[in-house]
Amino acid sequence: MDVRNNRRDMTGASVITANRLLDGRIVWLAPQGWSEAISQARVFDNAAVEDAIKQAKAAADARTVVGIYGVQLDPDATQITPLTVRERIRAFGPSVHPDFAPVETPHVH
Amino acid sequence: MSTDTVTRPVGRYAYDEVDRTFVSQRVAQFREQVGRRVAGDLTEDEFKPLRLMNGLYLQLHAYMLRVAVPYGMMGSDQMRELAHIARTYDRDYGHFTTRQNIQFNWIRLEDTPDILERLAGVNMHAIQTSGNCIRNVTCDEFAGAAADELLDPRIHAEILRQWSTLHPEFSFLPRKFKIAISGSPHDRVAARFHDIGLVAHPGPDGRPVFDVFVGGGLGRTPIIGVKLRDNLPEEDLLAYLEAVVRVYNAYGRRDNMYKARIKILVQALGVEQFREKVDAEFAQMNRADYRLEPAIVEGIRARFGIPDLDAPADAAQKLEADRKADARFDRWVRTNTHTHRHEGFISAVVSIKPDGGIPGDVTADQMDLIADLADAFSFGEIRVTHMQNVVLGHVRKDRLRDLWLRLDGAGLGTPNIGLVGDIIACPGLDYCALANARSIPIAQKLSARFANPELQENIGNLRINISGCINACGHHHAGHIGILGVDKRGEEFFQLTLGGSAENDVAIGQIIGPALPEDETVDAIARLIDTYLVLRHEGEAFIETYRRLGAASFKDAVYAPA
Repeated sequence: MDVRNNRRDMTGASVITANRLLDGRIVWLAPQGWSEAISQARVFDNAAVEDAIKQAKAAADARTVVGIYGVQLDPDATQITPLTVRERIRAFGPSVHPDFAPVETPHVH
Repeated sequence: MSTDTVTRPVGRYAYDEVDRTFVSQRVAQFREQVGRRVAGDLTEDEFKPLRLMNGLYLQLHAYMLRVAVPYGMMGSDQMRELAHIARTYDRDYGHFTTRQNIQFNWIRLEDTPDILERLAGVNMHAIQTSGNCIRNVTCDEFAGAAADELLDPRIHAEILRQWSTLHPEFSFLPRKFKIAISGSPHDRVAARFHDIGLVAHPGPDGRPVFDVFVGGGLGRTPIIGVKLRDNLPEEDLLAYLEAVVRVYNAYGRRDNMYKARIKILVQALGVEQFREKVDAEFAQMNRADYRLEPAIVEGIRARFGIPDLDAPADAAQKLEADRKADARFDRWVRTNTHTHRHEGFISAVVSIKPDGGIPGDVTADQMDLIADLADAFSFGEIRVTHMQNVVLGHVRKDRLRDLWLRLDGAGLGTPNIGLVGDIIACPGLDYCALANARSIPIAQKLSARFANPELQENIGNLRINISGCINACGHHHAGHIGILGVDKRGEEFFQLTLGGSAENDVAIGQIIGPALPEDETVDAIARLIDTYLVLRHEGEAFIETYRRLGAASFKDAVYAPA
């Protein structure tokens, strides 16, 4: 995984993401497993997210996902929203196909 | 090569039993590898090179499968299978690429063996569409049809495909390796922007000979290829190319992926020293093992179907009358057709760039329609172009209007080939894991802004190429106007280059100044085009005006205060 995607500031908050192995879909680490909806994601202080990423990689269900990394959030957003354009596109779908946006129905597994 | 009797598909090579067995075995092998990955017997690091060897990338939203379309040629049966895959396994779309392939953006790993099995059923696969190997050989989209062609390059493209497929020496090159071949004096394949570019023409004895260009490429370090060899005899084609790739394999850098392409090696050694090494390798090879005898070439040629070019004597007159009777059709003929070698036929370019649309994207229904139209109008033969369009190569002139009416009715009749709307764009940050910025929205905004066909025709020939990162899949350096997406602290900016060309007047576009914010880019390009319209001489194309005046005349327009 490209290190640039895992950069973050000293302060602020992040969520943890990956792609699901079987279908490649983007998932977010939620309190009970991985969710397709970023709104369900667990938010970490940046000071704590490195440890959380390590734990996620070591967890039993890590085999079901690939490419685990942290995503810094926009501190000014009212909902859980990544800071960068790249991660906003990952979270909310291709900007050129709103119909391909992830379904916001909670889908924790 | 076996001699089994099969229906020979027009314009492409008919697989024999050896080919079919090979592809089927490869599917079975990958099915087993996927099973081991899902079971946890392979780690992602172990599995990744295996899936990439089968064209399966993990992109931004899902897996992406890149299917090979050898030298851009396919049949209606294959297009229908691609439509089925789009409909069943993807989200109803396929995306034609600048390497004449097709990509599916929403593929599931667990479905991929089934998809590959379906592809094998129509003699297609995804082998060598990724990885540090010799990739799909690209070719002139008007091959075997163009009036200006000296030699049909598809036979030799097929020979190169067979030579390079799973070549044991060349499966782990320092980096990927791309070959293009043309048989026309007009370069329609960007020969000088390839690792190897071949321009074929008849030699003194009538057998083909090849001019060999090497070390061209775009990406991080754009370089125009140099001519390594004139008039390479056909019989030495494989030996010489093997010598070139061996030298690259031996001396190419493996310590730095950004300096690993053959273009860097050619520049580092200098063309004379590189040529000496190739010649030394060539001299010590047992050339008899590689000799491409005429009988071998004719054996390959015999597996290509030939269209029966029989048109009524008044076909051309009928077309002229149709054009006079319908101004919209006449405009489309002006922009979207190419002169055929047979006076009763014409090649039609189907624009996959509707006004405001996504360059190269086709729906499953459109794929089915293109297949139907290929059957009805062009011997079931379809060509994918490196400009992300589709060509029906052999259309009878008296039937061209019928074809256009059906295309137009399906939204595939946009008259913009070679014009502002015919934008080449990579998938960009909307889909690609490597991208820094989105290419498609810029293409859509430009295309919508210049949608008026009179305006487009007034502006004339203008190539706009957009890449979402420095890897340059949108060939921005080769665009008359090139647009490169860059990332500045997570936000998109776009750098403009001017003056590039991939044709006979080959040139690398030059950066005009600082990158622009996303919301200023389209306006800046519009001002740039307005400036050209003011400054141009009578009949002068954009690229000619730019070369006459230089960048300074356009810079003020680009950076004018909002």
